[in-house]
Amino acid sequence: MAVKEYLIPENLYYDQNDFWIKIEANSVLIGITEEGQKNTGDILYLELAPAGTVVRRGEKIGSIESGKWVGNLTAPLSGAVAESNPAVTRNPRLVNRDAYGEGWMVRLIMDNPDELGLLMGAREYEAWLDEQLKSEEGIG
Amino acid sequence: MDLYNLGRVDWIASQSLYHALALLGREGLIICYPDSPYVCLGLHDDLDHEIDQDFCQSQGIPLLRRETGGGVVYLDDRQIFYQLVLRRDNPLLPLRRTRFYQKFLNPVRAVCRDLGLTAEIREPADLMVRGRKCSGNACGDIGECVAYVGNLLLEFDFQTMSRVLRLPHKTFRRFLRQAMRSHMTTLADWCGPEVAHSRIAGELIRNFAWELGEMVPRIVDRELEEAARQVGERLTSRPWLEIPGRRPAARRVKIAEGTYLAELVVSPEERYLVLKQDETEIKIRIEPFEEVAVDLNAYQGGKSDGSQGVFDS
Repeated sequence: MAVKEYLIPENLYYDQNDFWIKIEANSVLIGITEEGQKNTGDILYLELAPAGTVVRRGEKIGSIESGKWVGNLTAPLSGAVAESNPAVTRNPRLVNRDAYGEGWMVRLIMDNPDELGLLMGAREYEAWLDEQLKSEEGIG
Repeated sequence: MDLYNLGRVDWIASQSLYHALALLGREGLIICYPDSPYVCLGLHDDLDHEIDQDFCQSQGIPLLRRETGGGVVYLDDRQIFYQLVLRRDNPLLPLRRTRFYQKFLNPVRAVCRDLGLTAEIREPADLMVRGRKCSGNACGDIGECVAYVGNLLLEFDFQTMSRVLRLPHKTFRRFLRQAMRSHMTTLADWCGPEVAHSRIAGELIRNFAWELGEMVPRIVDRELEEAARQVGERLTSRPWLEIPGRRPAARRVKIAEGTYLAELVVSPEERYLVLKQDETEIKIRIEPFEEVAVDLNAYQGGKSDGSQGVFDS
C-alpha cells in the first residue's frame, strides 16, 4: 500500500509521530516511517535512549536533527529500552536509506500491550496521512 | 499574533525569551538584538569539539546552547534577530516543518527587497544575496511549540567568528576567514554601515504582518520574564553546555548551505584543506610546518572527488 510515493507495510503498527512499530517475539522494534524520514529530510544526528531506560508512552526516547530542524523522538508505547541501534547513531542517514530495515531505532520490551490498541494499522495510517497532506495543500 | 519588538536586549534574553514563550505554550514574534557578543551552540554541537574555550574566556565572550538546530554562531549587536514561536497544532504549520521556512523567510526577503537587494532562499533555510549567505535560520521543537529563529547580518565580525572555533591550525583559521568572506555577505556590503536596527525591525514587522496576520504589540510580562530567567540559567549552565554532541572524525566547518571547509588528513605528512561548494571542490595541500597563504579567488575549483568521506557525515 502506498500514499502517493510512500511505502506503508501492512504488517506494522503506526503512530501520529510517524513511527512504525513491529511486534516481534516478546518485544517491539521501533523506527521512523518512510513518510517520516522524508518529512524530516537528511538526518544528521540521532541520539537514542540507552538500554535499560524506562519510558512511558509519549515520553522522550531520543533526539533527532536534520538539515535545519531538531526535535524529540517520543515513545509510541510504554516499556523498557532493550537495545538501541548503534548503526543509526553512528550513521543517521541509514534511516533515510532504509527506514523499515537497517534504519530501525529502538527495541522495546512492552509494559502494557493494551497500548497497541492506541496505534494505527497501515490503512488507518494511510488515511491519516492523506488527511494531513490535504490540509497542508489547503495552507498553500 | 503577539509581537515583542524589543530592540536591544541583554544577550541571554536574546535567546531565552523565545525559549520561554515556547515553554509557556505562548505564540509570538520577537524582534531584538543582543547588547553584547556571545557564542551560541546548536542543540547537538559538542562544546569541546567546536569551541576554543580559552580564547572565549580570555576575550570575555560567553557561551549559550540553544534548543534549535544548526551549528555554532557568533552573535553580536550588528545582527538583528527574528524569532517566531508557534504551537505545534497551529494550522499554519505544514506536515513537513521545513516547508514552513518559505513562509518564515518571505518577510526577510521582502526587507532585502526594500533595500534594493534580491535575496533567494537556499533550501532548507539560508538566505542568499548574489549567492552569498546574509541570513542563517533554524528551527526546533520546544515544549509544545515550534520555534523558527533567524538573524539578518547588518555587519559581521569574520575575524572573531574564525577565532572562537576550535580549529586544527592557523592555516585552517585563515582559510576559513577568507572562505567566510567570500561566501557570506552583510547589508553593510551593499547599503553601507548606516542601516539602523530600527529600520530593519520596522520592515520585518510590516512584512511578518503581511504573511502572518495582525501583530499585537506586547511587553515582556512578569510570567515571561520569570520563565526567561529560569531558561536562561539553564541554557548557559556548564552541565547543559557540556552535554556531548556530534564529533565528526574530520574537522569540518559549515559556512553556508552546501559550502564547507574541512581538513583531510591522509598521513601526518600529507594534509589538505578542502573547500567544498556543492559539487565543486578546491583542495590545497598543507606543507608540514609551513603555513600557506591562499587567495580563494585565484582558484577555479574542480569536480568533487568526494575527498575520502570528509563531507559524508
